[in-house]
Amino acid sequence: MQDLLHEMNPSIKFVLVTGSMLTLAFFFDPWTPAIFWLAIVLMQLFLSRVNWKLWCLMMLPFTLGSFGYLWTTLVFGADDTSEILWTFAGISVTEEQWKHALSLSFRVMALSTLSLLFALTTDPVKFVMSLMQQLKLPPKLAYSVMVSYQFLPVLKDEFIQIQQAQRLRGVLVEKHWWQRLLNLRRLLLPMLAGAVRKAERAAFAMEARGFTGAARTEFFRPVTVTRTDLFMAILFSSVLVGSCAAGIVLSN
Amino acid sequence: MHEDLFLLQNASFRFPEDAKNTLNGVSFSVRQGEKLVISGPSGSGKSTLLYLLNRLYPANCDGIVGGEIRLFGKQADEYMPGEINHRVATVFQDPDSQFCMPTVEEELAFTLENLHIPRIAMEGRIAEVLELTGLSALRHSIIQSLSSGMKQRVATACALAMKPEVLLLDEPLSHLDPFTAQQFIIWLDGLQKKAGLTVIAVEHRLDLWDAFFDRELSMGRSGRITADELFQPKNPVLFPERVSAVESSTALAVDQVSVEIKNKKLLSSLSFEAKRGEVLVIAGPNGSGKSTLLKALCGIYKRSSGTIQSSGIGYVPQSPEFLFLAQTVEKELAFSGTSSPSEVAELLDRLALVQLKDAHPFSVSHGQKRRVAIGAMLADNHPVLLMDEPTSGQDSAALQELFALIHERVQEGLTFLIVTHDMEFAAAVADSVLLIKDGKMTGKFSASEVWGDEQLLASHQLLPPKGADRYAGSFA
Repeated sequence: MQDLLHEMNPSIKFVLVTGSMLTLAFFFDPWTPAIFWLAIVLMQLFLSRVNWKLWCLMMLPFTLGSFGYLWTTLVFGADDTSEILWTFAGISVTEEQWKHALSLSFRVMALSTLSLLFALTTDPVKFVMSLMQQLKLPPKLAYSVMVSYQFLPVLKDEFIQIQQAQRLRGVLVEKHWWQRLLNLRRLLLPMLAGAVRKAERAAFAMEARGFTGAARTEFFRPVTVTRTDLFMAILFSSVLVGSCAAGIVLSN
Repeated sequence: MHEDLFLLQNASFRFPEDAKNTLNGVSFSVRQGEKLVISGPSGSGKSTLLYLLNRLYPANCDGIVGGEIRLFGKQADEYMPGEINHRVATVFQDPDSQFCMPTVEEELAFTLENLHIPRIAMEGRIAEVLELTGLSALRHSIIQSLSSGMKQRVATACALAMKPEVLLLDEPLSHLDPFTAQQFIIWLDGLQKKAGLTVIAVEHRLDLWDAFFDRELSMGRSGRITADELFQPKNPVLFPERVSAVESSTALAVDQVSVEIKNKKLLSSLSFEAKRGEVLVIAGPNGSGKSTLLKALCGIYKRSSGTIQSSGIGYVPQSPEFLFLAQTVEKELAFSGTSSPSEVAELLDRLALVQLKDAHPFSVSHGQKRRVAIGAMLADNHPVLLMDEPTSGQDSAALQELFALIHERVQEGLTFLIVTHDMEFAAAVADSVLLIKDGKMTGKFSASEVWGDEQLLASHQLLPPKGADRYAGSFA
């Protein structure tokens, strides 16, 4: 049971997640995103082996953002003629404003949870392979993503080494993040110079092994679409349709 | 019957952005089963020649080809993209940028998928090539976690998975230390005999190969073949003999230094001294803590205990451009503001950088970058210089330049601590040798006593320098 989200075909999952996000964008009541959000959390709880500590940590900024949306909409929302629910410190909140604010913040929560569901249950390599096989992503693009993914740890090492070397030259660690951001270009120049060289080498190595970018006819590990995917597609769609329907009913 | 696999007649090649040809009037043929090495200084067009044989050129650079190139009896330009690569496989020099998949098995599968091998046959081919190369145990290993030597073996296995007739090697040893390189050659030799491959290699460090090849093609600076002859085992690069410049005053005193990072003990209580004008080589197996020691000495890593006394320690990383911060060589030296403009001018003069002073530090050659880095360290007032693997991937001319650079600087009273795997270079340059193993110091030895002690060297995964007698003698 707890493997279902992990075992799912990544392309199908990707289509379902993107579809749900687009659909949610058309619902402005607070109920639809709220119910959908709850359903997604429950799905993760029962159908995946997510590291919840990591999950909470990743959700923290989104939760803060969502709260920010809530109060800015309440404080700065356009005045309307609906009934005033309550007044606090000179700010009166109308029913319309309250609905908008809740809708916005629940939407932030729903979308971020949904993205995390995808990110935390999908193996990047399998995702790219599946994009190539199910969604016909050109191999040229797919393998350039793969190569960059392989280079990430190397680039991280290089970044640290350059930073250490430059500190020796007397480059101070700036106090403010914006100063550090400005100084980033010093670090990026040596890195880019190396990256261009590496990219060319990798391209040569791949070509020398017969890679032409043409569509492939055979896969060593075909990523398949199984009954699990059908089941999960139905589950996702019913959750989406269910929360939309419930939203419409409850907000009338 | 022997057939010509490759036949070049008066072939020439020019990069579209260059005025001069990179290759000129190249004519030779390669027969099946030959082991051919193409040698020559950097910039002689030997890699370009190799890329004409596997069709990476001219398509990838819009190069202009002249003369006749026949591959397996067919005109080179009649091949479809990727068609020739089934028969001609290549192993490149950089072990870090030859792979696009996470595990060994997936990387092999990538190669087979390119060839449109049916899926049912892939399993057999993968098992077979792993068996042949003796890599079966690494089948599910993450490639990026392997050592450089193992990565090169995996790259070779991927090449062999295509069942090629010809194996091209583009300086396959340049990123390996001599010990690993020797192991790789022995392994490759066995493989070549088993698979009956034709091997064509580009290489500048021929001494490591012993008698592997049977034919040598030498290229000259103008991109012409200067000799085509039987291969003779080569002597290592010969450095001039140098007289030690060690003075009596101490430049660096290290006492009981330990380094612990994230509760892992990387170095435990090292103590040694270095004099003014001394060249100290630090050697030991991979991962023994050599680079950690350098980083602890110059202050990149915090030491957890011990003291370091010195008038100033500078650090030159393996890629000197990591240090660069300014737009011109002159500003680079003046960056910290420690030296006055006249001192900077004097340094530029001493390091022969005057002509380059307005060049961008990234645009000069690798040897010049190292001189700029040393200049910057001296301008910052660091008379003790730490160099991390300055010999890796350098051809003999570059090694001679490095040797001269170090030799001249110690005359001025500088002290060098050099991490290197190149024992011939170490033997030529070192006054003393610091052996490290598992984060512990075996000891500081005078150069003359260490090179003859094969057992001591072998226990640190080092090979005695070729011609060790000469070095041992010259110090006696």
